[in-house]
Amino acid sequence: MLMNWTTEDIPSYVKEKKYVDTALVPLISLEFGDGIKQSAAMNEFITVISKEMERQFRGRMLLVPPFTYLEDNNINDLKKLAEEWIKQMKKGDVKHIILITADPSWKKVEQELEGMLLWMPLVPFENMDDEYKKQVISEQIKQLLPLVMDKWKENP
Amino acid sequence: MSEKNHNVSRRQFLTYTLTGVGGFMAAGMILPMARFAIDPVLKTSSAGDMNAVAEVAKLTNEPQRFDFSYEQKDGWYTSEVTETAWIYQDGDNITALSPTCTHLGCTVNWNANEEHPNQFFCPCHGGRFEKDGTNIPGTPPTEPLHKYVTEVRDGTVYLGKAEPQI
Ligand code: FES
Repeated sequence: MLMNWTTEDIPSYVKEKKYVDTALVPLISLEFGDGIKQSAAMNEFITVISKEMERQFRGRMLLVPPFTYLEDNNINDLKKLAEEWIKQMKKGDVKHIILITADPSWKKVEQELEGMLLWMPLVPFENMDDEYKKQVISEQIKQLLPLVMDKWKENP
Repeated sequence: MSEKNHNVSRRQFLTYTLTGVGGFMAAGMILPMARFAIDPVLKTSSAGDMNAVAEVAKLTNEPQRFDFSYEQKDGWYTSEVTETAWIYQDGDNITALSPTCTHLGCTVNWNANEEHPNQFFCPCHGGRFEKDGTNIPGTPPTEPLHKYVTEVRDGTVYLGKAEPQI
């Protein structure tokens, strides 16, 4: 079973809702100017990490399509929008919401967010061979797992 | 008078619906042909290949984690899939278990929970399994961990598909 936002998985999600109580939302910034390369690297990194998280936790986690925004948007406006997402998810019985991003601006509003923010310093995959890439990913995931499990423990 | 209005709107509704159905029918006419064209490709890729995963010399009585990857052909699209196996050796017997929890599919780990040593533990809903993969009653999973088809050739462990133990 894979809990993705697809016609194949959503029916299982609906059926197993009482077990799948966590949503994972990637926060992805878009930039078309000078920062375009950085923006792509962040997108790639966060996409890979969220897929891997989903693989680890697919029985309890639903991977939601990414919350995508323009890089020069005001972070407080974005926070309001993200809160709207969180509110809707909570209404839909999602108990835990995990936001994952490499964009440092979210750190500024972390305290005010209702979900858990996982901020990951960007590791650019550029010029990395596959073996090394895999190692990096599994290292990162190893650090994330206990955070997620603590969150579940504190409010099962 | 109001009934007349009603009829008109119902007819309009029908017209819309029928157009919709027509659209679907057209799609249906194209789809079977596409499937027919893809089929032979799918068939050739479904051979259950064995993958070299570990050296027998590295195995212990304690389950260890081994990752292995292979290419998967999905029609014309080839992708690399990474899988994990928990392998241990008991006398001459080599057992390779799939890490996929039989409850809802999270990844289990060996010896990961202090309260339950020497068991596989699932972080999602606390599912637990014995060393040989047997699910522990009273935890959510209802069947044992799946077991890989295993083969040893020249000191190397090869794994095939993971299959249910019951
Ligand atoms: S997915 Fe493992 S216990 Fe539920």
